[in-house]
Amino acid sequence: MKISKQARRDARELFRTCMVRDALDENRARQAVTGVIQKKPRGYVAVLSHFERLIRLEVSRRTATVESATALPPQEQALIQGDLTRQYGAGLAFRFIENPALIGGVRIQVGGDVYNGSVQGRLEQLGSQN
Amino acid sequence: MSTLLQEIEAQISGLKTGVTRQNVGTVREIGDGVAKIEGLSDAMLNEMLDFGDGVIGLALNLEETEVGAIILGDYTAIKEGQEVKTTGKLLQVPVGKELLGRVVSALGQPLDGKGPIDAKTFYPVEKIAPGIIKRKSVSQPVQTGIMAVDAMIPIGRGQRELIIGDRSTGKTTIGIDTIISQARLNRAAEQAKDASYRPLYCIYVAIGQKQSNVARVVAVLEEAGAMPYTIIVDASASDSATNQYLAPFAGCAMGEWFMDNAMDALIIYDDLSKHAVAYRQVSLVLKRPSGREAYPGDVFYLHSRLLERSARVSEKYGNGSLTGLPIIETQAGDVSAYIPTNVISITDGQIYLETDLFYQGIRPAISVGLSVSRVGSAAQIKAMKQVAGRVKLELAQYRELAAFAQFGSDLDPKTQALLERGKRIVEVFKQPQYNPIAVEVQAAVLWTVQNNLMDDVPVEKIKDFQYKLTEYLTSRKGAVMDKIRAEKAFSDPLANELKAAVTEFKQTYR
Repeated sequence: MKISKQARRDARELFRTCMVRDALDENRARQAVTGVIQKKPRGYVAVLSHFERLIRLEVSRRTATVESATALPPQEQALIQGDLTRQYGAGLAFRFIENPALIGGVRIQVGGDVYNGSVQGRLEQLGSQN
Repeated sequence: MSTLLQEIEAQISGLKTGVTRQNVGTVREIGDGVAKIEGLSDAMLNEMLDFGDGVIGLALNLEETEVGAIILGDYTAIKEGQEVKTTGKLLQVPVGKELLGRVVSALGQPLDGKGPIDAKTFYPVEKIAPGIIKRKSVSQPVQTGIMAVDAMIPIGRGQRELIIGDRSTGKTTIGIDTIISQARLNRAAEQAKDASYRPLYCIYVAIGQKQSNVARVVAVLEEAGAMPYTIIVDASASDSATNQYLAPFAGCAMGEWFMDNAMDALIIYDDLSKHAVAYRQVSLVLKRPSGREAYPGDVFYLHSRLLERSARVSEKYGNGSLTGLPIIETQAGDVSAYIPTNVISITDGQIYLETDLFYQGIRPAISVGLSVSRVGSAAQIKAMKQVAGRVKLELAQYRELAAFAQFGSDLDPKTQALLERGKRIVEVFKQPQYNPIAVEVQAAVLWTVQNNLMDDVPVEKIKDFQYKLTEYLTSRKGAVMDKIRAEKAFSDPLANELKAAVTEFKQTYR
């Protein structure tokens, strides 16, 4: 879908109203979407699809995905959560995923930052060196 | 067996065991050699991005939610959703003397099949030009070997002189002649073990040229023995617009290495019109706003930042220099178009080539009235200044009177003398391509014209007279030529010696 500059600008404005102290307020976001659908302003579908994209990027920016070869025990999960909260601030959403392809170790992704301590990652590093 | 284990252990211990942080993004859109990537929050402008499998991109647009990157190389294998990593490195190319004699791509990769280039140093393609403190005014000449240029539009080391003209008016030839002339001078100084001579290395950047043209240039340079002092950077018409956009910057980085290491270099950008077109294409697919003639708003900055990197640096900073000879192709002689006016205003002068002159047989077809060198006269040797000082004025007077004389039959003797002198100067300045003339020969020939010693030679025989006189002076009167080269000025005794030599020659000439 072609999203016009005006639609982008409106979506950005809408997105800004949903932010409270640098964090996304989910209730406000839901209210905003309902409000736009009810009022049906000009080009509202484009506005909403760009708004959805902004929300998706914000959610992924504030989501920590922790992958490990086997399920992590609760103590280790708490340790990782504590470390990441210290570094990225409160309000992070955590997803713990089992990924046997990692062979061993942990791979953490927060937004665009990746901390790869998995065996698979080290093997890839070794492969790229040779 | 135990040594094998030890080796493996050593290799494993050599690996970085600490977890490193990497910044990644995902490809949202790919097409026309441009990728839009979400994420990459740490990407820098002009940073190299790793697309995996050896494919590299260059971050050119840093936007609110995404990064616009141009792909260097084959982009057809890149898929939507693919992971992209930042590298923390700006785009860089190999530099150094290892590149001399080689034909390389815009990224410094060899294209000539002569094996890999063992360069030890790399320079970023984008670099800030030397500042005011580092610079020094132009004072050393670049002997192009083209008599009309060396006499009337002299070029100094560190100068930027634009070569401008319509298609097939001899723009590239001026560049090639200059390279050949430098190679001859460099070799002569090497053979004479002249430590005072500063060799001038040349870089020829072909942007959007036909492969056949580039191959011809390489063949000419090889035949003339100029390749050992030359680097050719080739981003031909079949290369991507990205490579064409990067090629002059890569060539400039290679030239800057010579300048930074107290050497002199000359770079020819052939041509910047096609460079602007390639940049326009890159900008439009990156969806940057377009301006006049659909060029982006920063097309002036594109060329000004490139040409500002040509400089002469002071002794404190190594005394090196980078001379720039950009080439611009005009359409139907229109110098007032967008890109030509931009580059004219950036450079320190221009050599304007005219189609009419070219077809009249005046080659190089330099238009004396429109060509100018703003700083080069400071770099001209004294001997040339003594003989060439009045030439430009005399030629201008000749052109004015020639138009006037077409209508009148009776002319006073003074006007006739001016016309005759003008005709002879025009003949003397005609020069075949790839045949640069040594500066002492140029000075001697111009001295002969200025001292009325060619006035009794018929105009149609001037060229023949000039060749034979040159041959006579170089083969029989080598001592006089050596003196001109050494003294770099016409003293009275030297002028008398030259006069005696020319008079002697005229007695035998028929």
